[in-house]
Amino acid sequence: MSEAQAAIAQPTISDFARTFRRVQAEIHKAIIGHEEAVEELLGALFAGGHVLIEGVPGTGKTTLVKTLGLALNLSFGRIQFTVDLMPADITGTRVILSAGDGHREFSFQPGPIFCHILLGDEINRATPKTQSALLEAMAELQVTVGSTTYPLAPPYFVMATLNPIEMEGTYPLPEAQLDRFLFKVRLAYPGEEELVRIITATTGPEAAGVEPVFAAGEAAAKIEGLKRLVREVLVAPQIEQYAARMVRATQPHNSRALGDLHNRVRIDAVDRYVSFGSSPRGALALIMGAKVRAMLDGRANVAYDDIDRLAHAALEHRIMLNYAAHSDNVDAAQIVDQVVKAIRAARA
Amino acid sequence: MPESRRDEQKLWLILFQIRSVRSRLNLLATQQWLFTTLALMIGGAALILIAAAKLGPFGFLGVSAAVLLIAASGIFAAARRGWAARVDAASAAGLADRRADLKGRLTTVLALSESAKQAQLWPFLVEDTYAMRDDFEPRRIEPRLVSRSLGALMAALLLAVMALPNLNRGGAAARQIASGGAAGGQVTADLSQLQIQPADPALQPNAQIYADPETLRRLQQKLEAEGSPHQRKGLGGLMDKARHFADAFQHQLTGRNPEAGAPLNLRLTDRNPGRASGGPNGGGQSRQMAQNSANANAHRGAAGAASNGRRASRPGASPPAAIPGSQADQMAKNSAGATSQPDQNSNSSQAGANNNANPPEQDAANDFGGGANHGIGADPGHLFGPPAPQPFGSDSFKIAIDAEPSDEASAPGSPAYLPPKVRVPLNPNQLPDEPIARAAVPATEQTIIKRVFDR
Repeated sequence: MSEAQAAIAQPTISDFARTFRRVQAEIHKAIIGHEEAVEELLGALFAGGHVLIEGVPGTGKTTLVKTLGLALNLSFGRIQFTVDLMPADITGTRVILSAGDGHREFSFQPGPIFCHILLGDEINRATPKTQSALLEAMAELQVTVGSTTYPLAPPYFVMATLNPIEMEGTYPLPEAQLDRFLFKVRLAYPGEEELVRIITATTGPEAAGVEPVFAAGEAAAKIEGLKRLVREVLVAPQIEQYAARMVRATQPHNSRALGDLHNRVRIDAVDRYVSFGSSPRGALALIMGAKVRAMLDGRANVAYDDIDRLAHAALEHRIMLNYAAHSDNVDAAQIVDQVVKAIRAARA
Repeated sequence: MPESRRDEQKLWLILFQIRSVRSRLNLLATQQWLFTTLALMIGGAALILIAAAKLGPFGFLGVSAAVLLIAASGIFAAARRGWAARVDAASAAGLADRRADLKGRLTTVLALSESAKQAQLWPFLVEDTYAMRDDFEPRRIEPRLVSRSLGALMAALLLAVMALPNLNRGGAAARQIASGGAAGGQVTADLSQLQIQPADPALQPNAQIYADPETLRRLQQKLEAEGSPHQRKGLGGLMDKARHFADAFQHQLTGRNPEAGAPLNLRLTDRNPGRASGGPNGGGQSRQMAQNSANANAHRGAAGAASNGRRASRPGASPPAAIPGSQADQMAKNSAGATSQPDQNSNSSQAGANNNANPPEQDAANDFGGGANHGIGADPGHLFGPPAPQPFGSDSFKIAIDAEPSDEASAPGSPAYLPPKVRVPLNPNQLPDEPIARAAVPATEQTIIKRVFDR
């Protein structure tokens, strides 16, 4: 390694931050506010994960995803999940096609899942069986139909929206499905000032002119290059241990035995309210998201603060609460707050 | 110079600076342990010394135990804290990261300096960290070179300096005692005033008692009658031992040792040779009263009056609680004269001796056994003759105030509490005592009267 290589790395890190900010700026042409949600969304994209977006109707979930597709200039697919949606409607199916000579044969007709950016709108309205059609695609970037496996072209990025209050006619997402989302992003109601800006921007004669950041045809390669660069970010063993400790702290019965004797952390709320804690994917999400944040900060290394800031996005949806939590009106965010506080104190 | 070599040098400089930070932090941790331990030891010793100089044995023992306990636990805690404050290189890097807001750069460089040299972003990390080397200089990470616990050590030293004069004063006192300057002396006391109690076990015998053989024999009898103080057992014995130990340790610390001085010479006298039970001269009470009266001693007259169940209204009739100076000596002389000449039981000669020895004023005060006071321990020898002059101070009277029992007389064998007597001037409606006018007694009747009184 040499200064020349460092000189190469330096603009690459700068390039990453610059590209990231440009995409962010294009999205904010159509989306007013939600800065943190947009940053987490893009972070998940460059970390190679998928995002579950939760928000009340009308907060711009679908607009956000569509704008991202436009800004990245990648192929965009959309599935409106309904109760009668079938898995084949997502993955595609074999259909009988007749050739010109009258010969008929089965041919695979790809579903909307075959794209770079997929929007699963109101994903919890479909049955768990249909929802599970996404599992293979999200985890392994491939789709198996019958005995044939079809690879998906990278980058592949799934964004699913979820309405938290429309419980009527909805199905809970299976834990395995939830675990495959790198982050869960919450879209809250906009503030008054943001609402005024939304009114001004959307009720006028001119639509938001979102321009693609990448040229057509090279977007996928550039995004994949940036994703590889993110993986190069260095992580000290202590920070990996910190992330692992944080994930283990969300698991009941493990929170009592964290760390060594001198750094024992005890989180009663976890033992009391959590049925299942985060899976190891939670730790991966923490580290990958932290790497993106380090790159955005112009660093080649991950810091403890990067982990702390991503704890909510990476762990909340991976924590399954029990009945006592619902009874006591305790949500996952409160659990994560306590976990982060305890782990940070143990580190100090 | 090859670029890889320069990268190595930058890495070495970064690691060297981390090691410097570590050394500085460890130095402070060592100082903290050392200063705190010294402060606790010196401060504790000073407190013990001050307690030795200012407090009694039990107070000294309590304070010393508390100080030792606190100091021991403090030293243990300081050692634990010092051990925990030691840092390894990773901890030093982490601390420097936090204090210089380096976002984990040093931690990552240190941790991955061996394994990540082939990583794509490693040179960038080294270069980036090297550019910030001013931010993690040891003096910026930890500005202090000396631990704050030095303040505690200074305070302890100050306390020790304040305690030193106690030590010196003790030494001076010891030297003074050793040279026989002040502690030695001679005290005369009467056997009847000796209050025999169990001695303080912390005190060593340091008095020499001398008296005539008869008085010593009476003392022995009195001791046997009172019962010798037995050694306490159980908790009391332990307390005595603790007190003895504390006292000895206190004297060792302060250098003050009252027993090291010249011994106290106690001259023992016996004013009432006949009162001791079972003594050879222990005749009847009336005979003793007569002797008292013949000696014209105010104290003895008062005792005689008390034995007759009447309150004496004579000047100087109160039994002394303490023997003041020359009067005590004089009394001792009188008693010594009486005991050294047991055969001289003549009242007149004894009275004459006393009259010769006493000053004129005292003689006048004592010479009130004449006819003016007949009826009170009356002596036929004084029944006739010219009226005695009015004693000095007879225009007033003394009354005894009965007080509540107090602990002064609580010790077994000690004399009963005697209330103090106060002199109250006469009010306008009162008249001074007038001596009864005497008439001439015919010589023929004098013999009859004498015979009546002799009976």
